[in-house]
Amino acid sequence: MPREIALLDALVPGLFLVFLASLALQWALDWLFGRFGLYRHVWHPPLFRLALFACVFGGLGLIAMR
Amino acid sequence: MNAYLRARVPDGAFAEAAAFARGAALDWLFVAKAALAVLLTAWLAMRLGLEQPSTAMLTVSIVIHPHSGMVLAKSFYRALGTLVGCLAALAIVGAFAQQSVPFLLAMALWIGLCAGGASLHRNFKSYGFVLAGYTAAIVALPVVNHPQNVFDSAVMRVSEVLLGVFVAGLVSDAIFPQRLGNVLRESIRAQFAGFIVFARESLRGALPRGDLEQAHLRFVREVVQIENQRSSVVFEDAGVRVRSPRMRLLNHAFMAASTSYQSLHHQLNRLQDEAQRPVRERLMALAGELGAELAPVESAPLMGPQAEALTRRLAALRERFPASIAAQRQGLAGRAERLDFDTGAELIGRIVGELHDYAQAYAALASPQAARSPAEVPAPFSRSNDWAGFLIAAARTTATMLAMGAFWLASAWPEGASAMLIATAFSGVMATLPDPLRAVRAMLVGYAAGTLAGLLCSYGVLVRMDGFALLAASLLPFLAIGFYLMARPALAGIGSGYLIAFFSTLPLKNPMTFDALAAINSSLAQAIGVVCAGLAFMLFASASDSPWLQARLLRKLRLQVASVCRLPLAGLRQRFESASRDAAAQIVAHTRAGSAESRSLLAWSLAVQETGHAVIELRKALAATDAPAALRAPIESALAALAMFYADPGHERYRRARERLSAALDEARGHAPVMAPLHLIRLALLDQRSALADFVEPPPQENPHAA
Repeated sequence: MPREIALLDALVPGLFLVFLASLALQWALDWLFGRFGLYRHVWHPPLFRLALFACVFGGLGLIAMR
Repeated sequence: MNAYLRARVPDGAFAEAAAFARGAALDWLFVAKAALAVLLTAWLAMRLGLEQPSTAMLTVSIVIHPHSGMVLAKSFYRALGTLVGCLAALAIVGAFAQQSVPFLLAMALWIGLCAGGASLHRNFKSYGFVLAGYTAAIVALPVVNHPQNVFDSAVMRVSEVLLGVFVAGLVSDAIFPQRLGNVLRESIRAQFAGFIVFARESLRGALPRGDLEQAHLRFVREVVQIENQRSSVVFEDAGVRVRSPRMRLLNHAFMAASTSYQSLHHQLNRLQDEAQRPVRERLMALAGELGAELAPVESAPLMGPQAEALTRRLAALRERFPASIAAQRQGLAGRAERLDFDTGAELIGRIVGELHDYAQAYAALASPQAARSPAEVPAPFSRSNDWAGFLIAAARTTATMLAMGAFWLASAWPEGASAMLIATAFSGVMATLPDPLRAVRAMLVGYAAGTLAGLLCSYGVLVRMDGFALLAASLLPFLAIGFYLMARPALAGIGSGYLIAFFSTLPLKNPMTFDALAAINSSLAQAIGVVCAGLAFMLFASASDSPWLQARLLRKLRLQVASVCRLPLAGLRQRFESASRDAAAQIVAHTRAGSAESRSLLAWSLAVQETGHAVIELRKALAATDAPAALRAPIESALAALAMFYADPGHERYRRARERLSAALDEARGHAPVMAPLHLIRLALLDQRSALADFVEPPPQENPHAA
């Protein structure tokens, strides 16, 4: 994946698109967790959500920028 | 030591002190979290080389709130509003880069439209609308002499706002979060327990109209408040998000049960005559049967299992209730008595069913299966909006901007743009508050204090400091004052004014520029902007001080009855219940408690609830039976007359509605399901204790030549 991408002739970092994709994935994961009540087994749900997002974004970013 | 203390101090005082300490600790936790978020944002903004770190810090102080759900919801709409506003700025600058007058006109129109849109919403959506408006001005005005820079300005603004939003959300949600979800759960529990206990206590005897009005006021507040909290909590808690449809069902079930319940009490209050004693006593016996089933419920912790037990008891009661009604009905001889009894008995029967649904919805919410979406899709909470409110909000904001803009262009005041911006922004933001003028006054006090604090901090402290750690240390005491003010509900308005002025006085730019003269000039311009926003609220009435707008709101509420007579039946009950309560809540917010307007509003609101509810039941009954056209026609003409009376009450219309209702009642004899709601509508119309008392005159039987 290129480092910078021209969106409507404005250069944006490639990671920005990865970030948007991770937000969408995070939203889906969050919905699943809420749907099946998995947050009840977690000590600190917001912190867990944050950590999950860090993992998703980090993972996708590493794959995309490899 | 502990035992000794306990022996001396009464338990109540101990609990009070503990509650006070807990409240104070929460306040200071909020101050610490907010200050941490602001300083973290400042550091990141400096690291990332954003042009104006103070904008990002200002964003944090605007969205921060003790409850993390509020922060996330407000952040979401602030981010959305900023993005839309930037797009609008690009479009407006692109179209009118070299024309100052069309540029200002287009900008003023855009901001006015956004302020009008804000008036149609009650939660943070309205904030998003306002923001979309004035962000366009914030982005476009600084580059008005160099239009080619507008894209960079937009990108900077978006980056600063998003940075602030992210840090604020992160800090408030991840570090010792105070969840709004708990507040919502507590509100729902209190609503349920409160209503059940209220029903049980009041089923024992008569409830005077004044108490009914107070109860109605409380129910209206609870319903609207829970709906607003729910719309914020969905950002905080995925568990609540999937339960959200069930919460809506619960709120609708509550509204249905409370309306029927109020109707029952109106009906009981009407049967005060000695002649109606037997009917009243029989109805009270039926009500007592219901009250007995509610008796074991305590107001203290009322959780899922208890609600399930209540559901089962109410289901059993619903099964055997027709038999009880039949037993009580025996021995009633007169036709009028039977009609009164049937009407009341049907109401009690319906309350049993609706209470059962309410308890079931409550129990379902607590059970783990609640995540599954319910079979019935709940109707959205309908709002009652007035286009006059939209137009006034839009006109006020547009006129403010045009007047300030004309002054700016004519006088070539260097800070004119800044004053115009502040005046426009506040005339949009404050318009959504119950009492805008008071909010502007609080804001002005906060502005004065914040400007002084900012100048003191910048030119007394910061000029002697070096490095980020010392910067943070010198900002901290000033920030703590502002956030502590924000944590106290009574002082929150002053607190936010203080913080806005403080951040805009600070010389935090990349690179830092110390210019006391410019800071004082711009503070002065902003204060003038706030004053002009206040002037705009005096010139363009807001609902709080305009009898005309209040009368319009009241008319809007009465029109609910007219729409109930006309609209298709599907989902009508839920739409009616929520929209009429939303209308009532708006007027409640704009009138002083206990004033004559407030009393008259509550009386009308009760009449609208009762009549609208009975009309829906009547139309349902009519749709369920294959009634002959001979029956349909008079009922429809009676409903039309009723709708006309409620749309514009007058003696002539009142008389016509009453006559047509009587005629319809004569036709309906023998159709029991249609008869009861029809009778209820007529009784509500004749009620001398209701808002319609002015129209209820003695029957016209006097000598026509007497006058």
